[in-house]
Amino acid sequence: MHKTISLALGSICAIFLFFTMISAIRFVQSAWQPPQLQHREEDRYRLVLVTQDLGTPFWNDVGEGAEAEARRLGANLEVWGTYGEDREDFLKQLEIAIDSKVDGIIVQGMDEDAFDNLTKVKAAFYGIPIITVASDVPMSESMRKTYVGSDALAAGKLIANTLIADMGGEGTVVLMGDQREEYDQRQRVEGIRSVLDRHPGIRIEYVTSSDEEEKIVAATQNVMNYFPNVNAFISVDANLTPAMVQEIGRRSQVEPYHIYSFDDNPDILALLRQGKLDGVIQQSPSEMGETGVRMMMQWLEGETVPLDAEGYLTDIRMLTTEGAQ
Amino acid sequence: MIGIQRKIWTLTAIVMFIMASIWIMLTYYNQKTQDQYNEILQRYLIMNEVTTASRQTVNALNIYLLTPTEGNLSSLRRGEQQLRDAQSSVGVLRNEENDFALTSYMNLIDSLIETTDRSVMFKSERETEESSKAFAEATRISRYISEMTLQLIDIELNTYERFYRSIIEQAEELKKLGIWILLAITFGLLLFTYWFSLSITRPVQQLTKAAQELAKGKFERQIVVNSSDEISFLATTFERMRVNINNLILEMKEKARLKSELQQSQLLLQESQLRSLQSQINPHFLFNILDTLSKKAFLEGAEETSDLLVSVAGLLRYNLKRLDRAVTLYDEVRVMRQYMEIQSARFTERLNLVTQIDERCLSVQMPGLTLQPIVENAVIHAIEPAEDGGTITVTIADAGDHVTVEIADDGPGMNEEKIIGILEERDMQPEGHSTGIGFGNVVRRLRLFYGISDVIEIHSGQGRGVRVLLKLPKTRRSDTYDKAIDRG
Repeated sequence: MHKTISLALGSICAIFLFFTMISAIRFVQSAWQPPQLQHREEDRYRLVLVTQDLGTPFWNDVGEGAEAEARRLGANLEVWGTYGEDREDFLKQLEIAIDSKVDGIIVQGMDEDAFDNLTKVKAAFYGIPIITVASDVPMSESMRKTYVGSDALAAGKLIANTLIADMGGEGTVVLMGDQREEYDQRQRVEGIRSVLDRHPGIRIEYVTSSDEEEKIVAATQNVMNYFPNVNAFISVDANLTPAMVQEIGRRSQVEPYHIYSFDDNPDILALLRQGKLDGVIQQSPSEMGETGVRMMMQWLEGETVPLDAEGYLTDIRMLTTEGAQ
Repeated sequence: MIGIQRKIWTLTAIVMFIMASIWIMLTYYNQKTQDQYNEILQRYLIMNEVTTASRQTVNALNIYLLTPTEGNLSSLRRGEQQLRDAQSSVGVLRNEENDFALTSYMNLIDSLIETTDRSVMFKSERETEESSKAFAEATRISRYISEMTLQLIDIELNTYERFYRSIIEQAEELKKLGIWILLAITFGLLLFTYWFSLSITRPVQQLTKAAQELAKGKFERQIVVNSSDEISFLATTFERMRVNINNLILEMKEKARLKSELQQSQLLLQESQLRSLQSQINPHFLFNILDTLSKKAFLEGAEETSDLLVSVAGLLRYNLKRLDRAVTLYDEVRVMRQYMEIQSARFTERLNLVTQIDERCLSVQMPGLTLQPIVENAVIHAIEPAEDGGTITVTIADAGDHVTVEIADDGPGMNEEKIIGILEERDMQPEGHSTGIGFGNVVRRLRLFYGISDVIEIHSGQGRGVRVLLKLPKTRRSDTYDKAIDRG
């Protein structure tokens, strides 16, 4: 009798002790230490990459390349920016970067007074070096240290030469550009013109539009109405390409037209694969990011002073429908 | 010895200890959680403080620019100082995740102060346009600071998310742990209390049972109590009492037995003495006459008669002298022969005595006048009634630790009833003319003398004679008979 009671109580007690132990272990294990506080800031260069087009494959590549290089060189890099070309916010981010007194700013160039004002006056006031990447702004207007990216002039020439090779020496070519006509766009157009002007049989129509879809569609309709015998389209700003191609496709077959574009828009590669584009200038975004950070570090470390004001050019190549398959 | 008091103290101490440790644990954990909460709140409050201070600074700058008085300037300076204090306390919040953002944040504060100073400077130099430009910039920077604060709080939430979740999780686990501990302790204490109470009540129960046994008069069973406390002391004392009472009872019983034996033998003695006194009528006068008669017979040439008379005198003397003494078998045999000589003179040819006596056995001690009454009984019952007479056979032989004395006759025998009467020591009416000492008396004295009952056997059957067998131990068991006799 005594034994039974003792045994029963003992085993119940043991079971509960077992669960208590498990619970206690879980309790201790669930404790998680807060992140270690750091008492002094890291003695590393703080760099910021500011862009207008966060989230696009092109700028993702630029960011990844820059981050990899920053890690390699032991710098702190943050990628700031706006989505969908919000210029006001972009300028605000740039100003914050300057006011935050980062050690260097790598920025997508923007041909606007406010941008120039920030880089030329304010950044210079704080002594912050600025490198433009992918899109350039003239040295004299921005006080940038250097430019890292594709040679827009050469890209224009390449695209024009491809067009000549595809179409021959005669025809009407429509150049579609953003109405803001930024510096790099002007450079591209200049490159294209420099080649096409040598062929008297080729007629060039330069059309500009804002980047809103209806405007692009309207501009495309207009130009096709005015010049029904148009042979080729060259989209100088990649952001205009999808709407333009769509409108052309709605009006007639896409195939007869020679359509060329640049690659800094997420939809371009898909259009190329579908055969709606005949050729795309492919740039090297990853290399841009890498080189940008490397140059910035070299300037900060005083290894290369001054930097080549003409810029450090990255590879461009022509990607055709066949090449994209 | 572990006292009951100490046991209770131990139990209480253990319970107190467990409760105290749980309390300390809970308090410690609560304190820790409180600290963590405070720290978290502190972080947010510090960040918020920066925003507030920056807004105040810009506000103060605005007021100063509108009315540039010394008082407004000093309130602007106070605002700036406040901002600097907030900035230095923000520095404490640095960790791996927010390093970049925090540095930017602190630099933004620097920029704000610089821009503010610039605005004040332009104002003092009367360059109003530059001043208001700087003010616009300061306002923007202040807005950036607010935004950056939100961004920092966002980073903070991301960084600390796991930590916050762990706090919630831990609180949840603590609740479960509390329940388990409560259950485990409850049953642990139940078990412990059960054992503990058992260790007190079990000895008490054992003791109670033992007391009941004693109350029923069973003093033989030993009292065993498995305990080491006060109860065990009680049990030991109780056990000692039991042993003492038991010894006293045994002693009393022994004394009572001895007393009753003594009384019995005294009674017997008195009876035999009375009988013997009744049987002697002025014995010395009788001895003298018998001696004279013997001499006379001898002188007259009747030698046989003379011898007979001597035998009678010897027998009488023995009868008077030896009744209260232990004698040897030798003496008994001698007296028996004298008696038989006298009887031979009476029965002549009819009485035939056959003796087979082992001389080595004759030193055995025995009560006086035992053999003669038995032989007399044989003569009275076997020889007297028979016209042709009979034979009495007396055989004395060694049988190891005792001597057997067999008296057999070839008379008509004895019936069963009478034999039982003799063996149960009942006194019969003496038949005929015996010495007066009955068979029963002899049996009783023999048993008293040797202290054993198995000393005499009587075998008989109708027409087969009587065979009396005495088994006399060579060593006596006790001397009580002698002592009793001496005292009597």
